[in-house]
Amino acid sequence: MQARYGARPTLLGARTPRVEDDRLLAGRGRYIADVALPGMVEAAFVRSDVPHARVRGVDATAARESPGVRAVFAGSDLDLRAVPDRMPWVRPVQHFPLARDRVRYVGCPLAVVVADDRYLAEDAAELVEADLELLPTVGTAEDALSADAPLLYPEWGDNLLLSVEGDGGEVEAAFEQLRTVSGTFTTRRHTAAPLEGRGVVAEFRDDRLTVWTSTQAAFVVRAMLSAVLGLPERDIRVITPDVGGGFGQKNEIYPEEYLVPWLAMRLRRPVRWIEDRHEHLIAATHARDTSIELSAAVRDDGTIAALRGRVRTDLGSGEIFPAGYGPSLVAVGSLCGPYRIPHQAISVQGVVTNKTPTGGYRGFGGPEGTFAIERLVDKIGRELGIDPLDLRRRMILAPHDLPYETAAGARLESGTHREAFERAVQLGERMLTEERENAGPGAALGVGYATYVEGVASTTFSITGTWSSQDSADVRFDADGGVTVAVGISAMGQGAHTTVATLVAEALAIPMEQVRVVMGDTDTAPFGLGSWASRSTLVAGGAIARAAEVLRRKGTDIAAHLLEASPDDLELVEGRFRVRGSPGSAVSWSQVAQSALNRTFELPPGVEPGLEARATYEPPGLDHVPRPDGKMNAAASYTNATHAAVVRVDTATGVVEVVRYAVVHDCGRVINPLTVTGQIHGGVAQGIGGALHEQLPYEDGQPLATTFTEYVLPSAREIPPMIVEELGGPAPETPFGVKGAGEAGIIGPPAAIAGAVEDALAPLGVTGIDTTPLTPSVLRGLIEEARS
Amino acid sequence: MKPPPFDYVRPGTAAEAVALLAADEDARPLAGGQSLLPMMNFRLARPSTLVDIGRLPELTELHRDGDVLVIGAAARQRAVETSPLVAQTCPLLPAVLRHVGHHQIRARGTIGGSLAHADPAAELCAAASALDAEVVAASPTAQRTVDTAALLLAPYQTTLHPDEIITETRWPILPRARHGFAEISHRSGDFALAGTAAVVEFDGAEVARARLAGLGIAGTVRRLPDAEQVLLNRALTAESITEAAEAAAASVDPPEDVHADPATRRAALRAATRRALEQMRHD
Repeated sequence: MQARYGARPTLLGARTPRVEDDRLLAGRGRYIADVALPGMVEAAFVRSDVPHARVRGVDATAARESPGVRAVFAGSDLDLRAVPDRMPWVRPVQHFPLARDRVRYVGCPLAVVVADDRYLAEDAAELVEADLELLPTVGTAEDALSADAPLLYPEWGDNLLLSVEGDGGEVEAAFEQLRTVSGTFTTRRHTAAPLEGRGVVAEFRDDRLTVWTSTQAAFVVRAMLSAVLGLPERDIRVITPDVGGGFGQKNEIYPEEYLVPWLAMRLRRPVRWIEDRHEHLIAATHARDTSIELSAAVRDDGTIAALRGRVRTDLGSGEIFPAGYGPSLVAVGSLCGPYRIPHQAISVQGVVTNKTPTGGYRGFGGPEGTFAIERLVDKIGRELGIDPLDLRRRMILAPHDLPYETAAGARLESGTHREAFERAVQLGERMLTEERENAGPGAALGVGYATYVEGVASTTFSITGTWSSQDSADVRFDADGGVTVAVGISAMGQGAHTTVATLVAEALAIPMEQVRVVMGDTDTAPFGLGSWASRSTLVAGGAIARAAEVLRRKGTDIAAHLLEASPDDLELVEGRFRVRGSPGSAVSWSQVAQSALNRTFELPPGVEPGLEARATYEPPGLDHVPRPDGKMNAAASYTNATHAAVVRVDTATGVVEVVRYAVVHDCGRVINPLTVTGQIHGGVAQGIGGALHEQLPYEDGQPLATTFTEYVLPSAREIPPMIVEELGGPAPETPFGVKGAGEAGIIGPPAAIAGAVEDALAPLGVTGIDTTPLTPSVLRGLIEEARS
Repeated sequence: MKPPPFDYVRPGTAAEAVALLAADEDARPLAGGQSLLPMMNFRLARPSTLVDIGRLPELTELHRDGDVLVIGAAARQRAVETSPLVAQTCPLLPAVLRHVGHHQIRARGTIGGSLAHADPAAELCAAASALDAEVVAASPTAQRTVDTAALLLAPYQTTLHPDEIITETRWPILPRARHGFAEISHRSGDFALAGTAAVVEFDGAEVARARLAGLGIAGTVRRLPDAEQVLLNRALTAESITEAAEAAAASVDPPEDVHADPATRRAALRAATRRALEQMRHD
């Protein structure tokens, strides 16, 4: 399905400026806060300021009297259903958009005030009195699992939302025979922090609900609204306006997304809620907060015969859909990396605590798992006296190993694992040498690497119990030869419009300018699951390729009839069907479209009027549930990359600066190098944030980072110059040969930066960096410990 | 994050401003708004009325008065940072101002506003402390001069009365002094973990007078007398700088917060003191 429709140059791989940029960069985007409806009123939430309590009552009397207030509701006022729990293999979490009998985290919505504007709503929200009976707080996952821990859900008998045992006889045998190297590797709690927070606007008119929401998955929101509100899906329209960053956090479905529509229905008025940053940091999902205990059974040459361990994630209260254990499962799959590790047995614990629920965040378990295995490989090298790069060379997959099934069950059909690694090492060593030449004596410089494979276009069945992995495209010609394509994927700033336009133009041999892209509206888009798991190009591409194939065939038949030629003699070149060998004899797409849409009497016998096609693509060969042996091939394809980071550590203060960075990446065929590089730049920047700066600490259940004063995001000045190189070519296993690039940047930084810091501090004897973020306090402590 | 209701007044003169403040004890002066407005949005500050002094011409002047540089309280930080007069007469100020937030913040933030806000990590407070700068505070009935040490009371608290505003700030011009400033921050443009402003006057090769102010290490910006003592009556050398940095670190007991533990702030002060002093080495 590559550019073989004629002789013109392909659009694939061209550095095409993004079609959405004129609008978005000039401030002409239309985000959720730009949606204004006549008569609209605004909502403000009353949120719990205690981590754990029984709700005895909510008194809104004074709030209802406050100026401009339309209504105040508490949990007991709501006539809607609990958020459905469709995963029989985990503990059921019955949660409602407003707490009914118990609050389990600071930030949990307790009541909502609707007023003429947000100022008045917040004035009234201050007057709502919640009568809360405090309960003991569960602060950490470790506390949650102690024998005398208070229970968040007493009916469970413990605080484990999910518990899966890993087993394998081969693993046990390996550990009996071989030397063991172990460690515990922790990625602390942080969050996606998109530039645009969440927001919902809803209107109920003529018995139909329209919901604008800043989400990555409009159809999933629609289905969940249907279940909670009790409306058929056809009576709900979900519209995604421009989204200022999603990062998986907006792939979660939040209490406010059910409640604002309910308010619009109840009050018969458009209602708007726009999240502020303080709410965002306590009520939008957090992420990571995962500790991985990992042991390797190691042969004499350092190579790993088996992995054994446990991924333990602090899920916060767990009151979110989809719940936050998805990343823990993906972390399991990422632990064996691109290495020939024959066996692994990894158990998973998803633990509930009195914190904000965790959910998806770009990388989705990949950064956590990669951090664990890469740190462990370095430790093996250190303990056995083997250069850790040589050790990786002994294990990393070579071309002749492919196709390869990893110990976790991932089927790697293609990839450049070894090549990417060697190239990144070359770049890393060169960058380090250059920095050393420029630095003064005594500068603590170091280089570190992270290598990984990443599953893309995954199934979501194992974490939603509902949806799998398909997506759709609807390609329609107008009579003037232009095309409108509607897709089920979603845009949140990543360049989806550009990518879709490029693929359609390529597949139909027309200029990109003739393609209009539509997405993010359940009334106009075909059913699809949205954009997550680095899936958009692959799944939308698959659907577009199929729809375009139908249209090309039909177009060829019509053109052949108009030209009085045989369809077999036609070729499609630059928007024209022409007779091979006589280029003067040709008709354009617009002539074909006019026949199909207007002058239908010109159509050949048996050809229906109309020139449109809808197609769905379901990636083949996926496991939607684990196989009997517990393994799972959960993704349509697997990208690979190696990252190299060069850091400078201020040994006096513990401040780390990432001074250079390189990513050697293989996402199959690159549709547009500009968007792929942009995705990687953004991912690395976020990864640096998580590795060095960002964290969401709690004390006695109280969040300590509740504004951007305490939550330290990296700024442009913390982001170094980057080298991004793409390897590989069209992947044989996917449409257009593409894989995915959305998450590639964020997976490497924690492991690469920790490795680089350890390298920089090796002269001081600092080893065993096993926790991120590496804040000045953490590093200064490690340095002091090594010195004493 | 919306403020509760408040009134807004923009008086035409400083006298009018203080009269308005005196008439309503819940009224607050508004200068650049870079700290007060976020506090209002969090409902931590609930003024009845904002008295906007940010555009009073008499408060934005900048001139030399003998051996003192006079900067109006409402002069914007960015204007001071880029002023040739300031660069010439008080070079510590532009050196320090470069570290105050980002230039967008400095375009709004004022000199007097930063001193009156008394953030324990404020660079401007450190410069004022190291230079022994003074502020002129006016009320409806009186005008008084307050030196920096007497101004800063506790985190976000000064000795200003509710009906007083800072009208001008007075910075000694020390043509023969050398200055240095360094701060250690987790992220550029952020409040520092710790920092040091240093003003040193020499008698020949020896240090005759040393004034060091530390930020981020206590409830207020404060001087570092132990470190100052170490430097006196000897040349400024690698050795004396190391001793001063150690003395500075040993003399503070920083609070713990979400950004750093006390030991890290102490280490940051040690490094900042060393780097500030290194900037003025002769050799």
